[in-house]
Amino acid sequence: MSLRRKTDRTRKPSTAWWNWLPIIPFLVITLGIMVLPLAFMLEGSFQSKEGFFTLENYLSMTAPVYTQSFRNSILLSGITAILGTILGTTVGYFVYRLRSSRARELVVTLCDVTSNFSGAPLAFAFIVILGSNGVVTLALSNYLGWKIYPTFSIYSFWGLVLAYTYFQLPLMVLLVLPAVAGLKQEWREAALSLGADARSYWRYIGLPILAPAILANLLLLFANAFGAYATAYTLTGSRFNLVTLQLGSLLTGEVLRDPGAGDAMGILTLLLMGMTILLYQLASRRARRWRE
Amino acid sequence: MKQRNLLGPASIVLFLVYMFLPILATYVFSIAVRWDRSILPEGLTLDWYRTAFQDRWFLIVFRHSITISAASVLVSTLLVVPTAYWVHLRLPRARPLLNLITTLPFAIPAVVLALGLIKLYGQGPLQLARTPPMLVLAYVIFTLPFMYRPVASSLEAIDIRRLTEASQSLGASWVRTLVEVIFPNILPGILSGGLLVFATIFGEFTLATLLVGARYKTFPMQLVYYTRRDGRIASAYSVISFTVAWATSLIILWITTWGTRRSSGRRSPVGRAGGGAPAGGKA
Repeated sequence: MSLRRKTDRTRKPSTAWWNWLPIIPFLVITLGIMVLPLAFMLEGSFQSKEGFFTLENYLSMTAPVYTQSFRNSILLSGITAILGTILGTTVGYFVYRLRSSRARELVVTLCDVTSNFSGAPLAFAFIVILGSNGVVTLALSNYLGWKIYPTFSIYSFWGLVLAYTYFQLPLMVLLVLPAVAGLKQEWREAALSLGADARSYWRYIGLPILAPAILANLLLLFANAFGAYATAYTLTGSRFNLVTLQLGSLLTGEVLRDPGAGDAMGILTLLLMGMTILLYQLASRRARRWRE
Repeated sequence: MKQRNLLGPASIVLFLVYMFLPILATYVFSIAVRWDRSILPEGLTLDWYRTAFQDRWFLIVFRHSITISAASVLVSTLLVVPTAYWVHLRLPRARPLLNLITTLPFAIPAVVLALGLIKLYGQGPLQLARTPPMLVLAYVIFTLPFMYRPVASSLEAIDIRRLTEASQSLGASWVRTLVEVIFPNILPGILSGGLLVFATIFGEFTLATLLVGARYKTFPMQLVYYTRRDGRIASAYSVISFTVAWATSLIILWITTWGTRRSSGRRSPVGRAGGGAPAGGKA
């Protein structure tokens, strides 16, 4: 598309330096609000309290409290990304197969709306249904005699898994629909006419074609969950040890202030997020090969 | 064959239950007299809304959130639209840079951005990092992907070169061309981007609480406060939050469908034209 636009041009765009002037305000704000703060954080992560170069801040990340927060965050993001991917791909596939296009559009609208529900109100909604006196908690105990507390708690790890999956799932449905729509009907027909059953069609054709797109979306969900703060904060306060909660309590001064350690933790988080997004780009580039 | 016929509807129904149950329950909870002893609410009431509205904090935090969201939308529009227009028209070399800058916020969690801002601007007597204007700037950066993408795709959908040349050959200046010719033509993109930015910021808790905190309490901060103190009032706050979120989503959807219908006469098969980008980091 961009190629055709280029040849269309009658006048070659000028490359004079003053052409950059109009976008300077944008670049300055980006620099001041995004680039410089992160650059200072990088510098701070290599600085001792006295201002000398040190690796101490990164070495201190091996302390149990930090390793545990990274382990918890990776587990929570990983599990909800995998759950979101499996359930979201299944739902997305069946939504795509719906006969009525009106029903399909309704589900897409619903996903559009619900993937924007997150943070504090969502966390509270889960307290309403699954808190210790929640609606579902009561229904299960009154009608099925199944008392989910204290084995389960919405304020615990698995409670967080449930709340996170809520915003991961519709996002996955939205992300996977274009990929599923890209599976050509002829491929399926060709496979079936050559004697494949539905299972082997998926095993050898459908899933391998979808794989890069699914992997890309899985990575996006992982990053989405890893950076989340408000949902976890509303449900657990700072009691549960997640990277974002840990960073938050460093900022609000709930724990002993150690700026160097905070900077190192922030940089490690950025590295992890950056790597995830990079892998996402690679996977989605590969996924796009099938969409010509 | 039979098995699959059942699996499809079943998974969609379960999905719908999962998506609707927490929201519907919160709506009912907010008008229930009591709903923590029995399966059905013990009577209905609007008392919790009355209590919420009568609290003097309600209007304050509501006004704060509206102010911050509106200011951010304004700054974002003023910053992103001229930049995107200029880069698309005269500076194609800068497009990869612009794409990179407007994607990066996805990879930066709000907590990390707050940490960096406080590190850089938190010192000194001014405490710049902890002021509402800094919060607005942080939001403008944080929501760049939501604003830039719809605007960029609107710009690509029209022939900005021809429009600009026509406008200038009639003697209009750059500013006049931008305001009177380009702006109306990409209005659907600006509106859907702006609304998404507005909704995101209205519900945003992390940056607000970590940067300004109690100095400038916003709606979500007060909601979190009540989840720990009074579930009734928290439910009224949550319902208002949910309503703002779904109402904006529906308006955006309506605008993008209307916009694409008007410009190309057909709809994309899976909806979601230019409006939505993954809501990264908002949670």
